[in-house]
Amino acid sequence: MAWRKASICGVGHSRQGKLPEETPITLAAEALRNALEDSGIAKSEIDGLLTLPGTSSPEAAKNYLVLGERLGINPRYTGSLVMGGATAGACVEAAAMAVQNGMANVVACIFADTARTAGNKFGAAAGGEDTWAVWGMLGNAANSALGMRRHMALYGTTSEQLGWIAVTCRTHAAMTPHAVMQEPITLADHQTSRLIVDPLHMLDCCLICDGAVCILVTSPERARDCRKKPVAIWGMGQGHTMENLRTRDWWYLPHQAKCIADAYKMAGVGPADIDVAELYDNFTVAVLFWLEHAGLCKVGEAGPYVEGGTRIALGGDGVPINTAGGNLSESYMQGWLHVVEGVRQIRGECGPRQVKDAEVCLVTGRGMTLNTASAMILGN
Amino acid sequence: MSTTPADPQPIKPLISETNKPFWDGCRAHKLMAQQCAQCQELRYPAAAICPNCLSAAHEWRELSGRGELFSYIVIHRGYHPYWAQRVPYNVAFIELEEGVRMFSNIVGTPNEALRVGQKVKVAFEERGADLTVPVFEVVG
Repeated sequence: MAWRKASICGVGHSRQGKLPEETPITLAAEALRNALEDSGIAKSEIDGLLTLPGTSSPEAAKNYLVLGERLGINPRYTGSLVMGGATAGACVEAAAMAVQNGMANVVACIFADTARTAGNKFGAAAGGEDTWAVWGMLGNAANSALGMRRHMALYGTTSEQLGWIAVTCRTHAAMTPHAVMQEPITLADHQTSRLIVDPLHMLDCCLICDGAVCILVTSPERARDCRKKPVAIWGMGQGHTMENLRTRDWWYLPHQAKCIADAYKMAGVGPADIDVAELYDNFTVAVLFWLEHAGLCKVGEAGPYVEGGTRIALGGDGVPINTAGGNLSESYMQGWLHVVEGVRQIRGECGPRQVKDAEVCLVTGRGMTLNTASAMILGN
Repeated sequence: MSTTPADPQPIKPLISETNKPFWDGCRAHKLMAQQCAQCQELRYPAAAICPNCLSAAHEWRELSGRGELFSYIVIHRGYHPYWAQRVPYNVAFIELEEGVRMFSNIVGTPNEALRVGQKVKVAFEERGADLTVPVFEVVG
């Protein structure tokens, strides 16, 4: 039996891309206005606020204070979570638990960033005092590239196979009006794009963007009276590996498989039930790993699985992934738009990119130096 | 010491009481690691507390320096002035015989000839007057 004790009743986002005239506050307001409009809920009804501080918000973990003040929200329940790309899921999950337990009636989950305009780099090394940067372990692609290299060595996975993920996501973005990258790309474009961190090319990487996203979480009862069809949270899971060096299979991110297994269990579903999957894709290789972790293919077989794109594309013969283009082509909102697209797919409002009869959606997120992961199952 | 754009400084570790024996060991061309006096687990990087049993008691011991190339990448972008002058350079993830894993660089082998699973042995590279960094060479 699916959990269904909280629902997403509204989603909204700002324009995406390069928006030099905006600030995180104005973008957050735009996303919140759109989410309120989407749900029909009044701002005065919001009594919970959870946020992910954007890279251009210097208040960092006190971001909830700043957003609360500027957006005029005095919540009963609040806080900021800092888990990188796993935070969107983690915020919605915390909101769902708060709603279930009566600590809030409507929780606004918000992320806003002007990373592109600010020229922010996402290149933090880890390793504490003995920082990995001593050996030049720099740039955000490094950890993902390291995992890809070992996957290639163990299973014969190739860069061309990653290319099919990039090409497919771009095809999906072309059907998404707000997507930042809509120009079609070919496998040859992927292969000839410059190497960033070998084995990852430029077209394996997401694009830093300005923008904001808001997700409103409430009780199933309240959601029934909202403007749009409510989307229930069927299952939730998280998993984390903090000990990068001490965990032998850290490169393969075992916590990602665990977080999806927990979400499946809570939802009472399995891989065969998934109609559409919104998989966190800071790099193409992330999708490859998720497909195996989600049980959509066997361990080591994601390379052949994505080849040709037919099993991951809309209208193909598998589970369509990242139907709005994902971080790679829709916009790099650190996975927040993955939740939004999951909601829209379950509502059935995606027009040309709608997955027919989509009833169960898997949404995942991952972050930091590949330490954190969250997964959700969304359904009716 | 003045630094010109042509002579950027390498990225240095932050030396503390905890990790000083490791970096002193590098100066003497010895790869050192802590061993917990309570549960015997080897640990790297240096830490005040054993993450397995939480004991602070430990001894330093010299590692064999032998291991395997667990994975590696070749970075083509310059994210820091020192490393920007060295692109494309490799970053190696090494698993030592004793079971600990560390980031490093492979020297003496072209990046194109690196393979996951290659046997490696520690070497030491002087990076300026006050820093000796453990790197690895492919053996056999």
